[in-house]
Amino acid sequence: MHRISVLLGLVDIFPESMVGPVGSLLTYSRLLPADIQAGFQGLFVPRAGKASALFIKMIARWILQAKRASRNGKKVILVPFNFPVELIHAFDTAVPLTSEVLSTVGVIALRGQGERYWDMAMALGLPDHICSANAVELGSMLGSEDFQPQAIISSAAGGCDANAKLHEFVANYLEIPLVILPKPPDDSGRGRAQYGIYMRNLVSRLEDLLGEKLKEDRLRAVMEKANRCTELYHDLMDLRKAVPCPVPNIFSLFTYATRLSAWGTEDAITTLRSMVEVSKERLAKKAYPAEKEIARCIWVYTSYYYDLAGYFNWMEERGYSHLGDALMFCFPQLIDTSSMASMLEGYSDAAWGMPMTRQMGAESMSRAWIEDIVWAARELKADCAIFCGHHSCKQTWSVVSILRRELLKQMGIPLLVLQGDSWIKRMTPMSTIQQEIDEFIKNVVASKSAPRRKLKKGRRKQLDKPIAS
Amino acid sequence: MELISSQAPGLENDHVIRWKQSGRSIVGYTCVATPTEIIEAGGLLPYRIRALGNGNTEIADAHLSRFNCSFCRSCLQLGLDGSYDFLDGIIETNGCDHLRGMIENWVYQRRPRFFHYLKVPHLGDSASIEYFVEEIKIYKKAIEEFVGRSISDQQIWEQIGRQDRISDKIRTIYRIREGEKPSITGAETLALFLLATAMPANDAENTLQRAIDDCKDRALDGYKARLLLGGSATDEVDFVAMIERLGGLVVTDTLCYGARAFRPRLLEGKRTDPYLTLANGYLENLLCPRMIDGFRSRLSFLLDAIERAAVDGVVLVHNKFCDLHGIDNVQLRLALERESIPVLQIEKEYGARADIGRLKTRIQAFLERIG
Repeated sequence: MHRISVLLGLVDIFPESMVGPVGSLLTYSRLLPADIQAGFQGLFVPRAGKASALFIKMIARWILQAKRASRNGKKVILVPFNFPVELIHAFDTAVPLTSEVLSTVGVIALRGQGERYWDMAMALGLPDHICSANAVELGSMLGSEDFQPQAIISSAAGGCDANAKLHEFVANYLEIPLVILPKPPDDSGRGRAQYGIYMRNLVSRLEDLLGEKLKEDRLRAVMEKANRCTELYHDLMDLRKAVPCPVPNIFSLFTYATRLSAWGTEDAITTLRSMVEVSKERLAKKAYPAEKEIARCIWVYTSYYYDLAGYFNWMEERGYSHLGDALMFCFPQLIDTSSMASMLEGYSDAAWGMPMTRQMGAESMSRAWIEDIVWAARELKADCAIFCGHHSCKQTWSVVSILRRELLKQMGIPLLVLQGDSWIKRMTPMSTIQQEIDEFIKNVVASKSAPRRKLKKGRRKQLDKPIAS
Repeated sequence: MELISSQAPGLENDHVIRWKQSGRSIVGYTCVATPTEIIEAGGLLPYRIRALGNGNTEIADAHLSRFNCSFCRSCLQLGLDGSYDFLDGIIETNGCDHLRGMIENWVYQRRPRFFHYLKVPHLGDSASIEYFVEEIKIYKKAIEEFVGRSISDQQIWEQIGRQDRISDKIRTIYRIREGEKPSITGAETLALFLLATAMPANDAENTLQRAIDDCKDRALDGYKARLLLGGSATDEVDFVAMIERLGGLVVTDTLCYGARAFRPRLLEGKRTDPYLTLANGYLENLLCPRMIDGFRSRLSFLLDAIERAAVDGVVLVHNKFCDLHGIDNVQLRLALERESIPVLQIEKEYGARADIGRLKTRIQAFLERIG
């Protein structure tokens, strides 16, 4: 990861007006190795406009903060993607480092794409079916001095065994404290109340670890910025509803990478605002990368990150809009900043609604997931859904057949089930994924001019009755 | 022991058949964190769901995926192909992601007459115990509604006492197998355990006592090494028998179909609140890797068993795609290696006969190393 911090150090030094042109130049100059070039082409796609430079500068500053933490008397708190970072931003003495975002940056920007770090984790004897997003980050901790956390928060218990266990493993292996925020899979109201208790315990534990009391004013300042982020997030969601979709596909990644790393900071507001502005301009111009929008795709869980150009760019250049994936469906709400108690309550709601926690940590994994995907598909006028089939997500794999059936029953839209690792290209090459998406859209998804798919009476009847063995 | 060999391999044993013939209901459960005392107090038969090495998963594979553990796929197969039609209801617990998916699909497809989800906390702190106390009360209410009558505290205490006696007997069997001259094999113990969790508590007490009596006149010899078997949900009697045929006597285990499933006596403490007694008893002794803050307890449980049973080596096994044991076994292996305790870590498919050659080779090599 040392190579990443050097690269990001340069990004941080360059003014914003230079990052975009330099990035574009590097992208098309063929100076970069092919794997990095694919990442750069995705990040610096011209239609993303100034948002690319602002996003990259935001990520650079966020990562460099972690690298320079000890120099600045701060502690690095490693968090998973389903833990809202704004709480950590509210402490003077801590900086958050989100495992999955760090791994994604490595996969995009490193020659070899993080696989070297995956191999380091595997060398410990860990099973090859654990989540690469976490394994790459674990490898980076083993192979680099750059990002050494002083504590790890695990909010995955209840939502994902693979993540929760790996957090425990990392804490034991690195001999650092593990702070746990379990999610009771209970929709009755008791679960939410219990989650509030766990959250208050977590705040106390963090205060003890950091030797710093959480200050109301500081928390309020962060939460007000988080509220501004929320408003911009919803603006972007509204823009995604337009046909053709004016929001570039890569903004799905930019949106949730912002949510998972810098939410509640000025950088996040600037980045989200630029995404809204770019999308509004494109809406006004009715700009779309292809001749016409052929398919509006909801990705029901994660996306693929090892070839941004081959995935996000390729899709929209063929007329396939990426309307977002489940990592984006975190449904942020405005937080009442009138008191410490109201802010912590609102923050607990935000954590309860984070991706994975919200769906897989629910009382019924399939029901919560179906509700969210059906809602998003309806709001965003999706005509198909795709499951990337990240092999480590055993919880989603175990109920995706129910989701597929219910999507067809409730919405009349088909679900494509792919198999691949979201972060490591070894499992399924991008060319295979492209081919499967292409065939699915051409052969299964109705064209925009055709009437909406309706289920025949017989098929409806068949879907309504339980499957006989 | 003959009774065990004849009854253990079937899902629907004679006890189950007699129970159903008398018009009473059976409730299936999957996880060791389920307080079966409440089910028994409701006049129902608790039945621990198992797959008994069934390797056929073709119906289940249409619902779960090949990235789900084959034990759960195997159980789902039996649920969907009608083998478990003798169950009148199912209790779900959040044991692991695969189990949750397995039950969700089972319930979605078969819609059992009775279904309840008992939420078990992932921590053992006081806030979690309090939550679990309420959960057990809600679970009791669900059982009451199903059976159409109320369950008194006294009835629960009686069942707690009965489970204490059963645990005592299982502990006696473990003492026999862990002793210097074991007279019961690992495969027989597993079969006995499986049978005892698929019959009424009264019958389980008698069966266990008969097994203890049988052990008195037996002696086992000819083994190369004494082994501890730990890891994933393993109800594969054949797998344990295979290890023993190769010369490794499994003298103890840390399996959830074994040593992890019987708890200390709960009646020993003050009789205050049966729900609190159950919540403490189950959660504090839940030595499953799903408990994210419990690594040290699990390691110490393992080290104690190693010392008690004077084992020569440890075999840690997990089913492919089992994250909980897959990762926990690495932590345990690293810890055992630091203590210079010989350990073999194996990843395998559940019930897969095709894998048997590879497993035999690895176990033989391990036995040669330690024997």
